[in-house]
Amino acid sequence: MIRTGVEASVVRGEFTARGRRMLVAVEIQRQTQRRRVQVNRQPLRRSSDLRRELATVVFQPDDLQIVKGPPATRRAACDEAVALLYPEAEELQVRLGNCLRQRNALLRGLTVSQRRGPLDVSISQTLDVWDERLAMAGTAWAEYRIRALEVVSPLMSQIYSRLNPGSSTFVELSYQPDWLGAGLRASLAAARREDVERSVTTVGPHRDEIFWSLLGMPARTHASQGQQKALALAFRLALHDALSATRGQPPLLMLDDVFSELDPERRKILPRLFPSSQVVLTATESYPAATRESEVVDVTALLLGQAGWAAAIS
Amino acid sequence: MVDPYSTLIGDLIDRLERLPGIGPKSAQRIAFHLLQTRDDEVSRLASSMIEARRQVRECVRCCNLAVLDECEICSNARRDRARVCVVEDPRDVFAIERTGAFNGLYHVLHGSLNPMEGIGPEELRISELLRRLSAEDIEEVILGTNPNLEGEATSMYLVRLLHDEGVAVTGLARGLPTGGDLEYADEVTLGRALLGRREFPAAEI
Ligand SMILES: [Zn+2]
Repeated sequence: MIRTGVEASVVRGEFTARGRRMLVAVEIQRQTQRRRVQVNRQPLRRSSDLRRELATVVFQPDDLQIVKGPPATRRAACDEAVALLYPEAEELQVRLGNCLRQRNALLRGLTVSQRRGPLDVSISQTLDVWDERLAMAGTAWAEYRIRALEVVSPLMSQIYSRLNPGSSTFVELSYQPDWLGAGLRASLAAARREDVERSVTTVGPHRDEIFWSLLGMPARTHASQGQQKALALAFRLALHDALSATRGQPPLLMLDDVFSELDPERRKILPRLFPSSQVVLTATESYPAATRESEVVDVTALLLGQAGWAAAIS
Repeated sequence: MVDPYSTLIGDLIDRLERLPGIGPKSAQRIAFHLLQTRDDEVSRLASSMIEARRQVRECVRCCNLAVLDECEICSNARRDRARVCVVEDPRDVFAIERTGAFNGLYHVLHGSLNPMEGIGPEELRISELLRRLSAEDIEEVILGTNPNLEGEATSMYLVRLLHDEGVAVTGLARGLPTGGDLEYADEVTLGRALLGRREFPAAEI
């Protein structure tokens, strides 16, 4: 958020990660909308490097869309889990994106006549090469997705059942791409005719569905809105637990307006599910007293205009 | 906004800024440096740029930069003519020559497969390479493309293309930093990668 009339917005924070004190500053420029991140006053090359320095798991009201939205939202959530759990996979993700862009560019560059008839040898040989690069990167990425879900899914099922005591709740996240049987290379070859006609790569991890199921039924269509919100929250909490276990250092957990997203029953239970590490909550109303050792920062002053603003930051 | 410099200086800065690796600040610094340098120094710089551009062309054999029809490497009788190292760019020839680990000839593709930039096999000097293979006594082709996605794709394309040409096709050994450019690899690493070159496994063909 950038206040009207100023050029940039800066958020500063002080953290302790792996016993090291860290000063983090994130600046968002109005004009470019670019983020610049500094750690201990040293600029980071890429703002995504902050993820290595300081892992964070964030729940936002928008997360409902992970369950309810189109497959792309579930892919993005899964890929975020991969990136957090396996930072070494970042290069692979970039590579996969580049393979796809290159293959699609090649398909788009074909002329109408090239698209209709049998493919020119030189074109089909070039496509072979990109198919193979894409197949290697895509298969490796799918393996990461499967690994991440195998870690997160059981934790999520546990958390979800604690959020819903007394009812039977089996939650599962799974990923079984159609192309896995034949292999991506062969599936790309099989889809080539269609890909050429449509100028786009129709098979691969960028098209797959990640299944979120509740009691064996797809949560997108069979869960109520309340259940869907709880599922999204359970996913974030499970990701937090998985990261704490693998990194030996709990990530920062931020829950944005979580209480207004839950029904009264779950609102009461949620604080008991908080990890012992730091949790940052934002809320538009006062929240249950059950949250222990909390420090409350009242930002109502910020809404009172300039005077209040000045008072709040001084 | 009023141009703080006269158009003449502005033009100079503009043109310098278009050169690779030169940002607005450096362009300004170079421009003002030139304006304060002795007249004959600047003339010499300008004429060597013009002369180089005018006289340097592609070697008829290897497509490397050359002043005569054939580049210095191709016309050197002591080079091993049975081995050809395929690289993307004349700068890669420089990088490999610096290692002193290679005594064969080169073939410069002038790029790598890159559909996003509209570069397919026809845009590279691949047909020139095939012509050399039938005209010269080449026993081994060493693929020295960059260890990044486009370089690997180019190598893979060539491996398949050269499969039936009756030459051994080898690639640089791993150990080169992946995702990087050959020209930035240090001499030792690049020299070792050349010595440890390997045949492409059948699975990749
Ligand atoms: Zn030459």
